[in-house]
Amino acid sequence: MLSKVYVVGVGMSNVGRFYEKSLRDLAAEALFKAIDDSGNLIPEYIVVSNMLSSQAEQENLASLIADYCGLRGSSGFKVEAACGSGGAAVLIGYSLIASGLANVVAVVGVEKLSERTTPEVARGLAYAADADFELPYGISFSGLNALIMRYYMMKYNVKREEMSAWPVLMHENGYYNPYAHLRMRITIDDVVKSPVIADPIRLLDSCPISDGAAALILTSEELAKKYNDTPILIAGVGNALDSTDISSRYELDTFLASRLSAERAFKLAKLSPKDVDIAELHDAYSINGVVTLEDVGFAPKGMGAKLIAEGRFRVGDKPVINPSGGLKSRGHPVGATGVYQVCEVVMQLRGDFPGVKTGGEVGLTQNIGGVGSNITTTILRR
Amino acid sequence: MSFQRMWRLKDFLLNLVGTKCLSCGYVYYPPKAACPKCSSRNIEKVSLGSTGKVISYTVINVPIEGFESMSPLIIALVDTGNGRVLTQLTNVKPDEVYVGMEVEATVRKSATTLDGYVPYIIKFKPKNSS
Repeated sequence: MLSKVYVVGVGMSNVGRFYEKSLRDLAAEALFKAIDDSGNLIPEYIVVSNMLSSQAEQENLASLIADYCGLRGSSGFKVEAACGSGGAAVLIGYSLIASGLANVVAVVGVEKLSERTTPEVARGLAYAADADFELPYGISFSGLNALIMRYYMMKYNVKREEMSAWPVLMHENGYYNPYAHLRMRITIDDVVKSPVIADPIRLLDSCPISDGAAALILTSEELAKKYNDTPILIAGVGNALDSTDISSRYELDTFLASRLSAERAFKLAKLSPKDVDIAELHDAYSINGVVTLEDVGFAPKGMGAKLIAEGRFRVGDKPVINPSGGLKSRGHPVGATGVYQVCEVVMQLRGDFPGVKTGGEVGLTQNIGGVGSNITTTILRR
Repeated sequence: MSFQRMWRLKDFLLNLVGTKCLSCGYVYYPPKAACPKCSSRNIEKVSLGSTGKVISYTVINVPIEGFESMSPLIIALVDTGNGRVLTQLTNVKPDEVYVGMEVEATVRKSATTLDGYVPYIIKFKPKNSS
């Protein structure tokens, strides 16, 4: 029997490229904000999520961050699930409380990529694909997602302009998010004319490579109600895996792990896609947002981009998709992104998100590692 | 990619060997230790053949570290009829590639690894091109 788990504190650093801040500076900023937000609950466990700290030449992050933040003697470790590390760490933090092993857990997502050049970071990210069988060909993450995008657009006869509606909506939302990396409005024409990264993926289909840290304080029902006026329930979590390679996928236009992880989270929460008021999906590229919009159950297969282009999923609709601006505009501090998503949805449900406000009772986050190979879905409830 | 890693993979990267599940018949590439569909460990190596059709492709303009000299890089998913292979296309210009293009395997040089080794791997070229 799982005990109830609540989010009682959230904290985020801005997302961007911060040459003046180190990995530990970013983590401390987010963690201290979350602890302060919780009413000063001191965590027993520090669960750190990160993918590429080796690029900042630092491993063993739980010890580093705990000690730097005055929590020497606490428990903790790092969770790695590629770009899906943040969601996975939330699931682990949830299970520590739900099982009764801990009463207060901090989940700290942190990524520091601006130490390295874009080709170096792109190579590091490619290690989340099948390094034995795909890396010898020099395939990048943009390239892998481009293969899926071309296949999807041909299969469902989706026009370039329809795919471009996704990043335009993301930038419209992210423009109001003070934490976002890329706060500018863009047009369909801007997307269509932006440089080609990996055909058909263009620059404005792609998330930026970001630094950032986000933190959550999770606790049991008893402590949540004692310390906090607006605890948010983690109603469900679910994770699912698929192949690291894309060659052996059953389908190229769908993410099996997206559907399975969402189904598992909905089952635990006893809810369904129609109950969701707000969702933060993982749009590292426009195609990821569109495909998972369908796989989670918010749009019929092949219709995701067309519905966005028709004006769906904006504020006032149900669900509102990525009011933060998503990975496209908020940015993608890789291993921290899944924690950002949960922070943002918690603030939406509490009513204190400082950007586009949605209101609502039920929120969902979905965080993708690899090309859809390690996906965690979280369902939050006011 | 280290020298010894490429050497370990030579059977697969130079001969396109996948695995076939002897319990449910599923054939797939890259090879696995058990069938993804039915979990059976009763599997055998199977050749994917040397010809196929392009089912999707991309032209990468922003290379990862180590592949700068090969940019722009044409990457395709090729269906051999006996499993899909992610591969590089050669002997073709980026604007000449199309979905459905018939291609055949050829052994070519890949980018020098970060530790200085020059690997040879299977790439695909348009069928009947020299």
